[in-house]
Amino acid sequence: MPDAPDDIGSDRRRLVGLIVGAVAAALIVGLLIVGLLAGGGSTAIDDTLVSGERPPAPDITLPVLVSGPGLPPAGQQVSLASLKGTPIVLNLWASWCGPCRDEAPILEAAWRRAKGRGALVLGLDLQDLSENARAFLTKYRITYPSLRDGTDASKRDLEATGVPETFIIDRKGRIALHITGQLTDVRQITVPLNQVLAEK
Amino acid sequence: MRRAFLMVLALLTLGGVASPVLGVTAAEIYRETRCPTCNTPLDVSNSPAAQAIKDFIQQRVAKGQSEQQILGALEAEFGREVLATPPKEGFDLVAWLVPIVLVVAGLCAIPFVTRSWARRRNADVPAPDISPDDAARLEDELKHHPG
Repeated sequence: MPDAPDDIGSDRRRLVGLIVGAVAAALIVGLLIVGLLAGGGSTAIDDTLVSGERPPAPDITLPVLVSGPGLPPAGQQVSLASLKGTPIVLNLWASWCGPCRDEAPILEAAWRRAKGRGALVLGLDLQDLSENARAFLTKYRITYPSLRDGTDASKRDLEATGVPETFIIDRKGRIALHITGQLTDVRQITVPLNQVLAEK
Repeated sequence: MRRAFLMVLALLTLGGVASPVLGVTAAEIYRETRCPTCNTPLDVSNSPAAQAIKDFIQQRVAKGQSEQQILGALEAEFGREVLATPPKEGFDLVAWLVPIVLVVAGLCAIPFVTRSWARRRNADVPAPDISPDDAARLEDELKHHPG
């Protein structure tokens, strides 16, 4: 006996409901996976360093907050790639960060020793108000140049977890060292920087 | 008692006149702003970065700047991600429209779904078996009550 029209309609509605439900479930699962992957935070840079290799520094392009040797004037963009050939101590900081204030004299001391030898100490002000950042540099008499990123894009690219963090980048644009947290001794910078400076 | 009541009333009235909310308040902008380090609205964040932005907002509110001016300045500093809610323009409008469309679609679907459930329930319930005696009694009852 053939199905009544009502039964056929009911089956069709049930099938449509199943398909809609399956698509919705797939979307939710997809969003969860994307969220987990995006929020997990990559550790590729640290993993490469632990394995004894030097990963390439991400090609970050940012505006200059305070200029210095080899950098364009404040407000203009500069990329890390354009600084290849110069060993760089890249320090992530913010004016609201207490440990950044405490380590600033160490970086300043490192800068005074390094600038005559072709290396660059470069601040990277993150998630900060630019007027607060400039006031911080003036108050603590910091003379090394700084870039600025109001977003957390460069922090993400560098796989940094917060501020302060410091990277030493060699002449080939590779990360040679990653220091998380506050610097407590100028030798944390000068010893590895001397090694990088000695490399051709 | 009456005097105390009148004094309280007078104080409330004076308070209302003395502190009128004429423009935007800092708290309103806190709710519209996201803390860049902790990804929560500014009004529920006490991180140092959030505090710095709260000070920034308070200074501009005190200067009489509008909400749009202050949010614009924050966006220039931190990018669009600093806004707790997406702007109601361009592609970001989708974030506002999709929930409304989904709610309307859900409300429209309710009659269809409930009708479908009711039909399925009616179809699923078999007619109860009835004994010959009960059938005769039912027949008899119906004869006596034709209406």
